[in-house]
Amino acid sequence: MAGLEGRIALVTGAGTGMGRSHAEVLAERGADIVVQDIVEDAALETAELVRTAGRRAHVAVCDIADGVALAAVIGEAAALGPIDVLVNNAGIHALTPFEEIAEAEFDRIFAVNVAGTFNAMRAVLPGMKDRRRGAIVNVASTSGQIGTPGDTHYCASKGAVLGLTKAWAKEFAAWSIRVNAVSPGPIATEMTVRNRGWEGIRERAEKEIPLRRYGLPRDVSYAVAYLAGDGAGFVTGQVIPIAGGLAIVGI
Amino acid sequence: MTSLAGKTALITGAGRGLGRQHGLTLAERGASVIVHDIAGDAAEETAGMIRKAGGEARVVGCDITDVAAIKETFGALGTVDIVVNNAGTHEARLIEAISAAEFKNMMDVHVKGAFFTVQTLLPDMKERRGGKIINTASAWGQCGWHTDSHYCGAKAAILGLTKAWAKEFAPWGIRVNAVSPGVVMTEMTRLNRTDEEIRDLAEKHIPIGRLGLPEDISNAVAYLASSEADFITGQVLPVNGGEFIVGI
Repeated sequence: MAGLEGRIALVTGAGTGMGRSHAEVLAERGADIVVQDIVEDAALETAELVRTAGRRAHVAVCDIADGVALAAVIGEAAALGPIDVLVNNAGIHALTPFEEIAEAEFDRIFAVNVAGTFNAMRAVLPGMKDRRRGAIVNVASTSGQIGTPGDTHYCASKGAVLGLTKAWAKEFAAWSIRVNAVSPGPIATEMTVRNRGWEGIRERAEKEIPLRRYGLPRDVSYAVAYLAGDGAGFVTGQVIPIAGGLAIVGI
Repeated sequence: MTSLAGKTALITGAGRGLGRQHGLTLAERGASVIVHDIAGDAAEETAGMIRKAGGEARVVGCDITDVAAIKETFGALGTVDIVVNNAGTHEARLIEAISAAEFKNMMDVHVKGAFFTVQTLLPDMKERRGGKIINTASAWGQCGWHTDSHYCGAKAAILGLTKAWAKEFAPWGIRVNAVSPGVVMTEMTRLNRTDEEIRDLAEKHIPIGRLGLPEDISNAVAYLASSEADFITGQVLPVNGGEFIVGI
């Protein structure tokens, strides 16, 4: 498999959970990492893990919903070199019944999950076009594919990420920039464990997930690494669901 | 790179084209490859290429449309960790020109062949509670084409098998996925089109601006075959340069 030696990858929301795992796995394959997060301490910790893996790290702290701030911190990362890989991982989730979703909550979900993805793409695109290469991996969700109750705004925002993925694949293919998405299903992140507890996770796994377990962040990171590398050089506009057999849809 | 060391992979139709490249790629990652083809010479040639590259290969031959032969040949293989259902056939035809025999052969090679290959190997996979099945669909089976409706139908049936098997075999930890190639540069492509036609196709119809290479598809197969894809089942991985972006 093609490694990522000499590549520079921007991973958004890389301070915790799946984003941190993506940063670690890409670093293990040889990439230097721009660690973006809104929480500085978390980003610094991830940067340390990247350095432990023997790669360079640059920390970029900002609210991804703020396009101007993001462009500024990404500009500072130029010291590391040009960005070849963008992993649009930053995202937020809220469990709120439809009737109770206030406008501000709706707006914030879309500001981070959709506008944040848009902002990061804007920040790296000129350089990728100049060099005529780049790999974008957006993080969708099986919730955006099949719907889940109790988080309609989140489902819609992830559906939007799928739309961006497909449109960008077509718009930027002429510059050899590939755009794909991973679509995680039930993954045992720190947040999942906090919300459901291990007992709840085991119960749901047995009842609902064909492979009878939750995924681990690494299961998703490996798909990110595959899509980011040259081994996926003829793959663009596609979605890889990592869901243990949930969300067997589409064609 | 996740190694496939210690794994045995059966690849059907591995005597040429995509199947041959799958054999080379999986062997390069450490798998011991069983090269199947109906044409013994072609299979031996693939096995020779694998061995020359330092890999491990053996050859089996049977007609993939002959269920008794499949049971006899594949039933004697012992442990198979990875099955790549690659054997296929293709002929450009309008519906009026497709005879009943051609229709039957198209379905038998793709659908019946894959079906009974898996039925034969499944008991051992179930007993060992693991295994990876990778089917070969096609962009044409996802999106249709102006000709070759029997081929499109057969490839769509492969998608149905993939999704159903994923659910049926999941309790035993057996993962089932499909790769779905678009237009790939194989010997057959070179035979059927002029260089100018190929350039034209790449420039006008394939967003990424080139045809696929067999390696592009083999890399997807190798990824799905590896433990890195252990939480993926029932999915279709299209490798088509952006020419076909569908589903969700």
